[in-house]
Amino acid sequence: MKLTSHSEIILEVQGIQSYITHYHILENVTFDVPKGSIVALLGRNGAGKTTTLKSIMNLVDVREGQILFEGQQIQGLTPYEVAQRDIGYVPEHRAIFRDLSVLENLRIAERKKGDFDAKREMIFELFPDLKKFINLRGTELSGGQQQMLAIARALVPENRLLLIDEPSEGLAPVIIEQLIEVIAQLAKQSTVILVDQNFLVTSKLADYYVIIEEGKSVERGVMAELINDHAKIQRYLGVA
Amino acid sequence: MKKKINITGILLIAAFIVFLVLAGRGMEPRDLLITTLRGFSVGSVTFLVAAGFSLIFGLLDVLNLAQGTLYMIGAYIGWTVFVRPDTFIDITPLILFLMAGFALGFLWDYLADKITLDARKKKILGWVFVVLSVVLAVLILPRYPIAMWELDNYAQSPISFSYMADQGIRLPVSPAETKGIPAMVALYGSFLISAVLAFGLALIRYKENRQHSLHWKKWRVFGILIILGTLIMAFNTPLTEWLMNMNTNLLFVIAAIIAVLSGIGLGALMETTMIQPLYSRPVYQLMLTLGLGTIGMQLVKAIWGMPEFVIPKPEMFRGSGPGCPATTVKDVFTHHCSTIMILGGRVRVYDEIVLPIVGVIILVLVWLLLKKTRIGMIIRAGVQDSNMVEALGINVRRVFTLVFALGAGLAALGGVLSAPSYGLSVSMGEKFLLNALIALAIGGLTSYPGAALGSLMVGLIQQFMIKYGQIGIPIPFTDIIFKPTPAIIPASTMLLMVIVLLILPNGLLGRQD
Amino acid sequence: MNKNKSFLSRNKGILIFLAVMLVLPFIIGLFEGSNPVAVWNNQGTFSKHLEGIGIEIFILAIFALSYDLLFGVTGMMSFGHTMFFAVAAYTTGIALKSFGLPLWQVLLIIVGTSIVQAFLFSIVLPRVKGVTFTMVTLGMASMFHIIVMSSDMIKWTGADVGLQGVPKPAFIDPTIERLRFYVVALLILVLVYIFYKRFIDSPTGRVCVSIRENESRAKMLGYNTTIFKVVVMLIASFTASIAGVLHTLYQPIVSPTIADLGYTVTGLLIVLIGGIATQSGAIVGAFVIKLLDLALRGIMKDSAPLVTGVVYVIFVLFVPYGIVGSLKLGGFKIKQGWQMLLERFGLKKAMPKEE
Repeated sequence: MKLTSHSEIILEVQGIQSYITHYHILENVTFDVPKGSIVALLGRNGAGKTTTLKSIMNLVDVREGQILFEGQQIQGLTPYEVAQRDIGYVPEHRAIFRDLSVLENLRIAERKKGDFDAKREMIFELFPDLKKFINLRGTELSGGQQQMLAIARALVPENRLLLIDEPSEGLAPVIIEQLIEVIAQLAKQSTVILVDQNFLVTSKLADYYVIIEEGKSVERGVMAELINDHAKIQRYLGVA
Repeated sequence: MKKKINITGILLIAAFIVFLVLAGRGMEPRDLLITTLRGFSVGSVTFLVAAGFSLIFGLLDVLNLAQGTLYMIGAYIGWTVFVRPDTFIDITPLILFLMAGFALGFLWDYLADKITLDARKKKILGWVFVVLSVVLAVLILPRYPIAMWELDNYAQSPISFSYMADQGIRLPVSPAETKGIPAMVALYGSFLISAVLAFGLALIRYKENRQHSLHWKKWRVFGILIILGTLIMAFNTPLTEWLMNMNTNLLFVIAAIIAVLSGIGLGALMETTMIQPLYSRPVYQLMLTLGLGTIGMQLVKAIWGMPEFVIPKPEMFRGSGPGCPATTVKDVFTHHCSTIMILGGRVRVYDEIVLPIVGVIILVLVWLLLKKTRIGMIIRAGVQDSNMVEALGINVRRVFTLVFALGAGLAALGGVLSAPSYGLSVSMGEKFLLNALIALAIGGLTSYPGAALGSLMVGLIQQFMIKYGQIGIPIPFTDIIFKPTPAIIPASTMLLMVIVLLILPNGLLGRQD
Repeated sequence: MNKNKSFLSRNKGILIFLAVMLVLPFIIGLFEGSNPVAVWNNQGTFSKHLEGIGIEIFILAIFALSYDLLFGVTGMMSFGHTMFFAVAAYTTGIALKSFGLPLWQVLLIIVGTSIVQAFLFSIVLPRVKGVTFTMVTLGMASMFHIIVMSSDMIKWTGADVGLQGVPKPAFIDPTIERLRFYVVALLILVLVYIFYKRFIDSPTGRVCVSIRENESRAKMLGYNTTIFKVVVMLIASFTASIAGVLHTLYQPIVSPTIADLGYTVTGLLIVLIGGIATQSGAIVGAFVIKLLDLALRGIMKDSAPLVTGVVYVIFVLFVPYGIVGSLKLGGFKIKQGWQMLLERFGLKKAMPKEE
């Protein structure tokens, strides 16, 4: 089932089943991502949203199903091979490197020499704080700055797909506002799959949504329609 | 800077220094100096083993208990190159040719792709090739000519060769005899072994949908190996004579380089074939490295024998004629003195000055590698979260292999460098493994500066204890003089380790969480 | 979970083992032509020789059992386990030789030393975990090894030569009363085994397993894991000490190698080959190791440790659950084991594991 008929599909996830050790986490997740859109994965805690993102990166054990990126099978590749297809991953809990400086945190994401220098202006325009603290170590940044750094890191190479996991977790409302703006900016250049507990964030940003419940994708559609469907929101997300 | 200062750690170090100063009261300045330098020397060798250990543990979470054996193998290979260059020259082409088969990996993958068989049959065929290579190895390898020492014949034993080399005499050795087949045939036969084996493995590991190319650049490694091997084989005698008559300083450098390369090679081989399948089971990795360490030690025992010997010191550090012992640094260079007088005490140049300097150089080099290069950045990031590094598009497994090989190479370097002063013995690996473990436990397991600090402390304590064994420690505020016996010395470092770990479970510079 | 079964049916395996081992010397005796009475009177040469091997195996098995409880069941990877064994062995030897104490007093002392050592190891428990624990224990054991080897102690321990000429109590002297010694060692092994089985099946034992699986979870469930670890340490220390006493009573020389890291590794090897956390694995492993060692020494003398090392590495890589562990996985699971093996060699595509 396609979300849309008119635009080009960049990523197709077809019936994947994923395991973490011997726990069967994803039982059947299917959705596709139109090029240039923001797709939000919604669902309660533990439904399998993060595992879906990790499955795309092949950071967990995907045993069934297919993942096609631009028509090519990427399931079964190692995580670094997936990333080299120009897929950027921003994990939850702001997994930046504590012992590296801000600059190093950005440079390590280079896929070829000069990636960072080419994007330098653009990144510092989006995240002026990072320019200020360029030589500080990761641990010395505030939570919001760490999150910005994690996103900025995914911008260093020319990624065509960004997977962003829980960007607003633990951030102050003011910072979340900034974050929304930044992600909206990103979406102009790249396709985004967004996971966030904060429905405000996802509802403002996403074009489409996929609801995941107990390891299965149960609903997909256009975000604008979901916002008005309070019953559905209540049922799946527990928020009104 | 919000960096937390570890007060407990500083107090401990301060206590350690106070202890040394207090205990050093009764010592003459020259004793104090020599003992300190010896401490630096032991600390430096310990550091070479510990540095690799700490890098490997930090990034890969593998406690490489084979590190001591790699240290030992480095020393023994260095000895072989230095004392028996003929054996070294004999065996090099064989090793190059055995590698050549695997250097053609891309060709085997390509051929495996071209063969039209279903996957299962390919695997069976692969196993047939593996078995075939074993058969070939049994047929060919024993016929490959190598001139070697004999363990049972004292006149031809490693000790004799060591002793004579130390006297500047080369024992006459008869060139290796061919055994049934010409040497070149045996050599190319050994290439056949590795080629068949590599092709078999390529068939077994065959995966579909991979791109294969036979670009000329890929042939380079293979070409170099084959040409180099053939040349060495063809010019065996002149090469041997050249090495035999070479200035021993240069020969020692060559020996060190070969030892380090062997260490790197062994490390890479170990990581890729055996450590990698066990990343999900750390306890088994621990047991595996322990087992490999034992095997390596037994192999050394079987090849070089039980008795202890040394690598003779190179010319640069063995002068004792006129002008020696040196009184100025200039004398050391003009007369190549083995000792230098400092504060009225004789200091051995190689043991007590060169080794610590080399230790510092390596410390700085590895530090630069970690801080200033991209690979160092990846290592530091990988220590924290290697999955995330991989998700950024970096082949972190290759970095793992590299770090493991680097660590093994550092240990081998320590072995070959320490061999002229501490000698070679079957137990040398165990001794320095224990030293390194203690050093790391004191300094902090994953902390690179911690490895250096811990090694230094271990070296100093051991040497001071030895010195106290001779002169006795005046215990403060009493007239009692305590003389530790040599046997207690290792116990003192163990005691230090236990105390440090009880107060700071993560060591002095480790991350306290 | 076995509460409804009787003692006999619960311990069927070990009781059969006991019976077989009791009868074995007599049967062997028949083969060499000495009748059971001669064996009873310790007259058969070959049967006596075999009894000797048996005794060594039983001692190894007791030692390995205690080590397995520590690292296999509870997950405390100690590299200093042999210290318990060696301290008991040396204490027994010194007490008998230098002080001429009667055996029962020696045993009381051993109980004391084993408790002291267990607490010594336990001091570090609440503070250190994982690798650090391994290293602290290694450090402590190495210190003991060094002290035993030191020339200061030569009067007591015989330094690197070993402790010789320990007077053996007459009623259990292994040279005269070999069969009696054999039976005593066997009975002790069986008792230890039954006790261990019981202990691991008990609620306390199950907490120990959960400590190995996930210590923080066990803590969250409200268990004071340190106390459980200390209990395990006490049991392991005492058991290893018993093995140490038997060792001194049996061997003509107590060699300092028993205090070496190598002896701990032997214990590790036995447990690994037999099967980690399966108590019978320790016994099977002890048999395999001892017999393999004897056979290899016969065939290739000095390179025997090399082959043992290779066997060890092969087990680590390909048979991680050991002999008993693999058998216990049982019928179709053996197929699964092979499957795993084939996968590793690349002969079969990885199949999803069953839930």
